[in-house]
Amino acid sequence: MTTFLSEREARPTRERRVGIIDCDVHPGPRSVAEIKAHMPMPFRDRWNGGGRGFFGNPVHGARLDSNPPGGGGAGSDPDFLRTQLVEEHGMAHAILLPRSFCNLHPDPDFGTAIAAAFNDWLAETWLDKYNADGVFKGSITVAHQDPHAAAREIERWAGHPHFVQVMTDSGARAPFGQRQYHPIYEACAKHDLPFAIHPGTDGMGINVQPSPGFPTHYIEWHTCLSLAFQAHLVSLLTEGVFEKFPKFRVVLTEGGTAWIPGLMWRLDAEWKALRTEVPWVKRPPSAYLRDHVRFTTQPLERPEDDRHFLQMLEMMDAENLLMFSSDYPHWDFDSPSHAFPKLPEALHHRIFEANAREWYGL
Amino acid sequence: MAKYVVGSTAEIGPGQRKIVAVNGISIGVFNVNGVYYALRNRCPHQGAPLCLGSVKGTALPSQPGEYIWAREGEILRCPWHGWEFDVTTGRSVCSPQKVRVRAYEVTVDPLESAETEAVVETFPVTVQSGNVVLHLPS
Repeated sequence: MTTFLSEREARPTRERRVGIIDCDVHPGPRSVAEIKAHMPMPFRDRWNGGGRGFFGNPVHGARLDSNPPGGGGAGSDPDFLRTQLVEEHGMAHAILLPRSFCNLHPDPDFGTAIAAAFNDWLAETWLDKYNADGVFKGSITVAHQDPHAAAREIERWAGHPHFVQVMTDSGARAPFGQRQYHPIYEACAKHDLPFAIHPGTDGMGINVQPSPGFPTHYIEWHTCLSLAFQAHLVSLLTEGVFEKFPKFRVVLTEGGTAWIPGLMWRLDAEWKALRTEVPWVKRPPSAYLRDHVRFTTQPLERPEDDRHFLQMLEMMDAENLLMFSSDYPHWDFDSPSHAFPKLPEALHHRIFEANAREWYGL
Repeated sequence: MAKYVVGSTAEIGPGQRKIVAVNGISIGVFNVNGVYYALRNRCPHQGAPLCLGSVKGTALPSQPGEYIWAREGEILRCPWHGWEFDVTTGRSVCSPQKVRVRAYEVTVDPLESAETEAVVETFPVTVQSGNVVLHLPS
């Protein structure tokens, strides 16, 4: 474990920032070379960027106005991102989730090398050189193909003042509650870092597609991303991960929220009859959410009738479980000022700031 | 109606657009195959700068597996969420009755016309060009 100045030591010198906390922001490197510079041979020669492959958005993948005027891809210019997102919407912090797509590679060593390079790059740039005001908080990318290597990567960054969570794609070869993944969770729990699951690489490379077979269109694939999140959550709850690692916490980022009440009602009902199959699940499964799980809001599923939306928030315990996210600069960006109908002030504060502040210790 | 010269026909050629600010309102003026249209530069969905979006055609409603590409140059897509708007009416394609952006009248007046009350900006004129004039409710 590398030694960093701990957050506790670093904080007194800096003013506490107030405002919205955006829990899903995507920075990118200015060039492929920026990442390659942090990659050892032989992987440096093998990796040439590249996205997830199939299911590209047929319209546009990022806000067209998010391309920095000085050049570079969307999300690659910290000054422009500050202007267009942080300052425009009065944000205290942006939680950064770079998209490395490392989880689709069949070679675990290659996946691990990509993850490590993105972490080194993020730490050097957005979390340090670009971060004098401390607005940016980062995610430690891990390649779940090799859970032991992923745990070592978490150890490498534990104690860093600006990495606030571990992240991986929802694309996987098995539901995340299964025990082969537990070394990752043990490391997360040890260092009190939440484990964020973000859509991507579902059905790509070595990962299974969470729908029955491959959908034809992007609209199907993108809508059904929430299926993977539901399956991962049911798995984490029923495999007893939160009993085995009482300090382990999960963030379901961009996986949807409207399904939470229905799925939890269903799972709780099943548990009443079937708890002997999973006797380590000591409480109704939904009872674990408040201590162990948070959900980010974008893409917000919003009914036509705002009253229904508010009822939905109440049903899903939004005041405790939801954390605002915009997904900047991606095409389905949720504007902090337009995506939601008017919320009661206290609820707005919980969702847009307080829940994330408490969860990430900001 | 107040009239504002927003450019010359030579300046805003077919397939081109110009974003202007009039009375603090950002408006996009589009030349669609020689006819001018103007839309408010603010998406009714989440407030994005709508008129910065791409202008293309669209796939018309059709039978499964059938693609009918039409209306080339008449469909403006929001640069954020990709909602489509008919440049000629301001109505959205997904929900034309409920979701629409404010459309303004545009005319092409002779250069020598002195009726306009205000000139948004100066521009070079040519013998062939006319003034593109935006009409706003007073």
